[in-house]
Amino acid sequence: MGHYRPSAMRQQKAQTVPQEPNLIPIMNLFLTIIPMLMMMVVISQIALLALNFSQGEGGVSYGQGGGGGGAQTEKVEIHILGNQYAQENNTTIGMEIREAGFKPMIIPALNGYYDYVTLNKTLQEIRSRKETLSDITVLVHPDVLYGDLMKTIDLCKVNGFTQVHYTASKVEYY
Amino acid sequence: MQILDKLTSSNKSERRVRKKFEEVKGLSITSLLDELTIILVFLVKNISTEVVKISAEPKITYPHTITNDKLLEKAGTTPIKIFPDRVVVGAEALEYGSPAELATDAKKRQDLLTYLQMEANDIIQHQKAETCLLVQADYSIPCDYITEIVRAATAAGYSYIYFATLEDADWLKKYSAGLAE
Repeated sequence: MGHYRPSAMRQQKAQTVPQEPNLIPIMNLFLTIIPMLMMMVVISQIALLALNFSQGEGGVSYGQGGGGGGAQTEKVEIHILGNQYAQENNTTIGMEIREAGFKPMIIPALNGYYDYVTLNKTLQEIRSRKETLSDITVLVHPDVLYGDLMKTIDLCKVNGFTQVHYTASKVEYY
Repeated sequence: MQILDKLTSSNKSERRVRKKFEEVKGLSITSLLDELTIILVFLVKNISTEVVKISAEPKITYPHTITNDKLLEKAGTTPIKIFPDRVVVGAEALEYGSPAELATDAKKRQDLLTYLQMEANDIIQHQKAETCLLVQADYSIPCDYITEIVRAATAAGYSYIYFATLEDADWLKKYSAGLAE
């Protein structure tokens, strides 16, 4: 065994091969956090459809007129007719478009399904006639499904009717 | 002498074996760690705290929409989940009852109104934010129940009501194709 001076001994220690940091705890942490965050990313893919009730009358109105928006000068209403209404009035389910100065237009359902293609075309036509109009009222019957209501509101928004008024055809409780 | 020979030969063989094992190096996971760090930063950046409240429920079939409105940045959100068989209210996921009770039970409706008023007041007074109700309902829920919730929320003072859907830019095309078939 050779003998070294104190300074040489220190040098020898410094020259030893540096140890790799222990990455296993960090890996474990990452393997826990990343799947959790990835699950949350899938969650954030949910879309949102907003109704603004902050201005004007607010709330859900019943029968004629809309809830959730300001005053309407040119009224356009979409009535989503349910099965109950169809049975009571001896007609088929569908949608009725009511516009001031025009006859009510019925869009009958096809094989029991609402005809959104015709509704979209009708809304496009109304949009071409009334370029500045942003208000539209959706009147929904109690037995109409939530999915159908969302699709109708969605088409209104797609066609530039940003102020959608939600209306129901029932007696009020509150 | 023979013993010495044996010793030297055994030592030599031992050295050879050692050399063999010394050549094997540990698996380098540095590059993997780099990738994981990049993913982690990306995920953290893309996730807001609001997402926790908008957790998707696998038991709810969401309707598809083209529109995707942004949630207000400064908003206090109260989630309400309507499953086909039960209603869950608030961030604490309080069991409310069945959706049918919304239309039939006046006391239940009053309870919902009271709860929403309490939540709305809390948002306005403590969070100083806009009041938002987030409705997550199943496609097959009759609108009667949705109307009751919207009405209770507006009566309680909620300014915005958001409906959770799944974004699908082609749903109309698909629907049209389905009808044609």
